[in-house]
Formats: sequence, structure tokens, C-alpha cells
Amino acid sequence: MAFNVLVVDDSAVMRQMVVRTLKMSGLPLGTVHEAANGEEGLFVLQDEWVDLLLLDINMPVMDGEEMLRRLRAQPETAELPVIVVSTEGSETRLAALHELGAAIVRKPFAPETLRDTILRITGVTDVEYYGAVPVADNGGDF
Amino acid sequence: MSNIMEQSLSRTTAATFEELALLFPEADPTPEQAAAPLDVTVSVDFRGPLTGRLVLRASESILPAIASNMLGEEESQHVPLQRDALGELANVICGNVLPIVAGAEAVFHLAAPHIHRDDSQRSRETDAARATTTFGVEDGRVQAELYVFDDASALAGAGVA
Repeated sequence: MAFNVLVVDDSAVMRQMVVRTLKMSGLPLGTVHEAANGEEGLFVLQDEWVDLLLLDINMPVMDGEEMLRRLRAQPETAELPVIVVSTEGSETRLAALHELGAAIVRKPFAPETLRDTILRITGVTDVEYYGAVPVADNGGDF
Repeated sequence: MSNIMEQSLSRTTAATFEELALLFPEADPTPEQAAAPLDVTVSVDFRGPLTGRLVLRASESILPAIASNMLGEEESQHVPLQRDALGELANVICGNVLPIVAGAEAVFHLAAPHIHRDDSQRSRETDAARATTTFGVEDGRVQAELYVFDDASALAGAGVA
């Protein structure tokens, strides 16, 4: 099974970093979509099938918390696996995101931390990870 | 407060460079690092229980290494991407240092990183940084400065969400 992923972050640099980590994670990737804020992300989800959402919080237009609330209110996306990748440090806000069923990866993150969270939340086992999927290392230093 | 700010800024800056840029900041810069110019400036404005600005200044010579480690070798030659990468480091430092100095319950809103073309806009003339930390990195150095404004109107129109 290949995972279609949506990365929502207003920083093009951070989107690129997350996509790079995804490619090196060994996760069987399908299409990787990108959006610069929550509103754009919702538009992508209207048109595309997505198996995993990686979501920033502090964004213009529509922040990640609002996008997550709207997702959870829709039956089609109520159970979508979501990983919040953010600098957010407020325990109040993190607790709210947790209640909405999101896993949290704090920036700065080690690539292994993001990879392990992805594998856990998607249910891809280590056997699948090391057996069926070649690690797509493109020579980077991660 | 200032001592806590200074320590928090120092620890957060070092950790961010280590984890995100895979570079290892030296708390005691060598003479060569200390003499390197700080010729690129980025900043992140924040609003919440405290209002202010995180400024990150760096030697231009270290930007290719930052971009290469964060984005890959191919991207490391693009100057705009190098500066965006530095801006993202400033964003992460800011997002991590604020809960330490203001408490874990505090909610802050951060503006997008701003790349300064020159040094004139990084702070207001009357401001003094509440905390400053400097590290040697590669053949240059970085300096992080935390400004806290007493008047919240200082950031009016600065794009803080």
C-alpha cells in the first residue's frame, strides 16, 4: 500500500524538509501534496485521497488547529491520521490538539523522530519497513 | 528574568542548530569565528503574554552548510533558499524559547520570518535586547537576540497572526 500524504505548512523550507524526511523514511509513498495554509489544505482534501496529514499550527489565513477541527467534523476525514509538526509549546494548545486525535512532533525534530511517529500512526510495522520497502536515501546527511 | 531568558535562548539556539541544521555550535568561538561578519539578518515577531521579536544574525559563509543539511545539496546553492532556511531556524528558536520564558500555558502567535535586506529594521532604535547569545558555527558565527516590547502597538501591522 502506498501512502498519499498532504503536508500543510506556510514555510516552503519546512515543507521541503518534511517531504525529504518522508522520502528517506522508507514509508511507501504515493503522491505527496503540499499546501501553504489550512484553507488550501482543505481544498486539496476535497479533490484528492489522502492517507496521512502532516500539519503545522501557526499559519496565515487558516491555522492548523482550525483545519483539524473542520476535518474532524467531516465523516470522510474524521479518522484521518494527523501529525502536527510545529514549534507550538503551549501545553493548553497541545492538549487541545491531542484531544482532536493528532500526534505531535515538536520542531526541531530529528528525522528519526518524525519517521517513527509516521510509522506508528500509519501502522506500518518494522517488518514492512525493513522488508518490503527499500530506503530511498538520496545521499543526504540526515 | 533576564538570566532565564539568556540561558533559555542559548540552549534553544544550540539545540535548534544541532537538530534541524545538523551543525554543532561552539559556545566559545575561535578568533576566526569571532571575527566573521554577521551579514545576514532574519527576524520573527511574536504576540501573546509577551510581545516582541526574535532576531537571528549569521555569517553569510555558513548559509550553504545550513541549506545543504536542511534541504539537500542541490538546494544549498540557491541564495533565497539559504536565507529562508535561516528564517525557519529563527522561527523554531522563537517558538521554543517563548514557553520557557513565559510559561507552558502561554499561547503565542508568531509572524512569518522576515528576511532583512540591511540591518536597519531588525529592532527599533530605542530597543535593547533582553537576551543575546553568540555561537561559532563552521567558519562563521550566529547571534540570536530576544527583544521584548513594552508597548504591544510596536508590532501593529507587522503581520503577527
